[in-house]
Amino acid sequence: MAFGDQVVIDDLSFDVRAGETFGLLGSNGSGKTTTIRALLGIYQPTAGSLLVEGRRFDPAQGSRLGYLPEERGLYRKESVIDVMVYFGRLKGLSRDQADAWSRTFLERVGLQHHAKVRLDKLSGGQQQKVQLGVTIMNAPSILILDEPTKGFDPVNRRLLMDLVDEQRAQGSTVIMVTHQMDEVERLCDRILLLKDGRAEAYGTVAEVQDAFGGRRMRLSFSGVLPDSAHYRVAVSERNYAELELPEGTDTGTVLRELLDAGVQLRDFSTARVSLEEIFLKVYGDEAVAA
Amino acid sequence: MSDGRAPGRHNLGTVISFEFRRTVTKPRFWLISLSVPLLIAVVVGLIALSGQTTAQRVESQDSASVTFTYTDASGLIDPAVAKAAGGTPVSDATAAREAVAAGTSQCHIDYPKDPLSQPIDVQGQDLGLFDSSRYNAVAAAVFQASIEKKIGDPTLAKLAIHPPDVQLVTYADGAPTAGIAGVIAPGIFLVLFYMAVLMLGNQMLNVTLEEKENRVTEMILTTMNPTTLIVGKVLALVGIGIVQGLVVGIPASIVFGLFSSSLGLAEPSAGVPMLGSFPINAGSMAIGFLLFLFSFLMFTGLLVAIGAVMPSAKEAGNTFGIVVMSMFIPLYAASLLVSDPHGVVSQIFTFFPLTAPVSALLRNATGGLYWWEALISLAILAVCGWAFLILGVRLFRTGSISYGSRVKIGRALGWRPGR
Repeated sequence: MAFGDQVVIDDLSFDVRAGETFGLLGSNGSGKTTTIRALLGIYQPTAGSLLVEGRRFDPAQGSRLGYLPEERGLYRKESVIDVMVYFGRLKGLSRDQADAWSRTFLERVGLQHHAKVRLDKLSGGQQQKVQLGVTIMNAPSILILDEPTKGFDPVNRRLLMDLVDEQRAQGSTVIMVTHQMDEVERLCDRILLLKDGRAEAYGTVAEVQDAFGGRRMRLSFSGVLPDSAHYRVAVSERNYAELELPEGTDTGTVLRELLDAGVQLRDFSTARVSLEEIFLKVYGDEAVAA
Repeated sequence: MSDGRAPGRHNLGTVISFEFRRTVTKPRFWLISLSVPLLIAVVVGLIALSGQTTAQRVESQDSASVTFTYTDASGLIDPAVAKAAGGTPVSDATAAREAVAAGTSQCHIDYPKDPLSQPIDVQGQDLGLFDSSRYNAVAAAVFQASIEKKIGDPTLAKLAIHPPDVQLVTYADGAPTAGIAGVIAPGIFLVLFYMAVLMLGNQMLNVTLEEKENRVTEMILTTMNPTTLIVGKVLALVGIGIVQGLVVGIPASIVFGLFSSSLGLAEPSAGVPMLGSFPINAGSMAIGFLLFLFSFLMFTGLLVAIGAVMPSAKEAGNTFGIVVMSMFIPLYAASLLVSDPHGVVSQIFTFFPLTAPVSALLRNATGGLYWWEALISLAILAVCGWAFLILGVRLFRTGSISYGSRVKIGRALGWRPGR
C-alpha cells in the first residue's frame, strides 16, 4: 500500500481465525488504520486483498461486516432511529426488523427516549453508542473496531466491552485496533504488532511476550544488586527493582546469586513481560515522537 | 434476515427511499418549495390589484373635469369640442403659462403647428404623480375628438389613430406554425432548468459532501458500493425535483390558466396543437424535455464531482457560484442566439458543455435549433454528465476520507481506485 512514492504498508500478511479476537497494535502512524482501510477496500491497495473464508471481500455483496472506524460520524441532522433503520436496511434487515432491533439496543444503552432526537443534539458519548449500535447490527460475522474505547468514560467503556464480548460469544470474529494494552491482554487471543507498515511481532499474546524478553522478576530488597549474566536490570530504585530474565533462565539460579551477593530479599514475584512493556520496547522513541 | 432482493438493488432502493423521505419530511423543504408559488401568487395578485386600480384611476380621470386654456397653431382643434372639455382659447401663450405657474390657472395646452413632428405642450398645477396625468389625457382626448369630427366618420377616425390588429399565420412543412406563442411551451423547460439547478444545486453538492462532512464515509463504503450510493442519491434528487416542480408548477398552471387571456397572446391558427392556452410543437417539446433532462444530469454530475473534491459546503458554495454564472452567460448573448441561431458564436455556446443547456434550450424554444444540432448537444451533455458522475464517484471513493481537506484530484485518481 503506497500513497504516491510513500510506502505505508509493506509485505504484510496475516490470518485471523474464525471466532477469535485479534489485536492490531502499533504506535500512531504505524499503519494500523491504513491496513484496515486497505483490507476493506476503502483504500485500493497496491497489491493484496482481504479474503473472507477464501473469498475476496466485497461490501456490496452483503457481507456481514461491522466496522467501527476511528473517525466517527453519522448523519447528524437526522434522528437516531432514522439513521439506525437506514443502516439496518443497508445491512440487509427489513424496515420492521431494523426498527425493532434499534429500539431494543437503545433501551440497552439507556437511549430509549432519544430515538426521535437528532443525532447532533446528543452528546459525544451518546453518539458513540449509536454508532456502536449501527456497527453491530445484523449480527456481523466480522467485527472490526478501530480504537473502540476512544472517547468513552470508564462506565461506557465497560458497556462497550460487554457488548463486544456478547458479539464474540455469539461467534463473531473481532479485530481490534487499540492502544489499550490492558484490553488487549484481557480480550485478544492473538495480536500483530505493526511497525513502519511491517509485522514486528505476530502470534498469541503469550508467544509475543515470550519473544520479547521472556519473564520479568520484581524484587523488594535491601542491599546492592550485583552485575550478572542471568538478568538485565530494567527498573532500579532504592529498595525495588525489576529484572528481565532471558528465556530459559532459572529463577532459582538468579535468587541464589542475589543472596550470595548479600542482597536481603523481602518479597519477589515473576511474571511474563507485559504488553505495555513490549509496546514501549518496540515503539519507545518512535511513539514519543509521534 | 434480508428481504430477498440482490444487495445492490436492495441498497439502491434503500438509499433512494432514505434520501427522498428525509428531504420531503422536513418542514424547511415545504417552506422553500411553497414560497415560490406563494411569491408568484402575491406578485400576480399585486399586478391584478394594480391593474384594477389603474383602470379605476383612468376611468375617474376621464370623468374628472379639468379647466384649461389653450392655443391651437395646428388649426385642427374644434372649439366646440374643446369648450365641452373645459377649454378656453387664448392668444397669449406666454401669459397663460405664467398664470399656471402663478397658480391662477389650472392648466394650459399648446397644440403645435405640426403635431406629427412636434409634441403637444401641456402645463398644469401639480395634482400628484398619478392624477397629474389627467392633463395629458384631456389634451389627447380633445385632439382625438377634434380629428374624428374633422374626418366625419368615427370608424375611419379610430382606424386612422389605432391601426387594426394583424393576425399572422405562417406555415412550415405544409402545417401552420405556432408563432410567437409557440415559444412559451418549450420555453418552460428553460425555466424548469434554471429552477432545478438553483433550487436543488446545494443538494447536488451535498450528494458527496454530506458523507465527508459527517465523517460517515467509512461506514458507508464498508456497507455498500459508492456508485450505488451516489446513483441512489441522484435519483432521489430527481424525485425531489419532480415534487418541487409539481408544487411550483400546479399553482403556476392554474394562475396562467386563469390569466392567460390577459397575457395578450395571439389566437393560434386552426390546426395548431395546444397545451392548455399555449400552442405546442411536439418535436420542440420532445427535444426540450431531453435537453432539460440531460442538462440536469450534466450539472448534477458536475456538482457531485465538485462536492467530492471540496472539504466543506462553504468551500463548495464558492465553486457552485462559478457554475451558476456559466448558466447566466448565455443570457447575455440571448439576442444573438435568437437573431443568429446558426452563427458561429451561437454554435459555440450550444456545444460548450457549461453553456449548452441554456443556449440549446433557448434556441429550441425560439425554433432556431436544427435537429442535428440538438443531437450533438444532447450527446455532449450525456457524455459530460456521465464523465462527471464517474469522476465524482471515483473522487468520492478515494478522496472522501480526506476529512477536512480538499482532495488532490491527481493524487486521488493516482491511487487507482477500483470498483
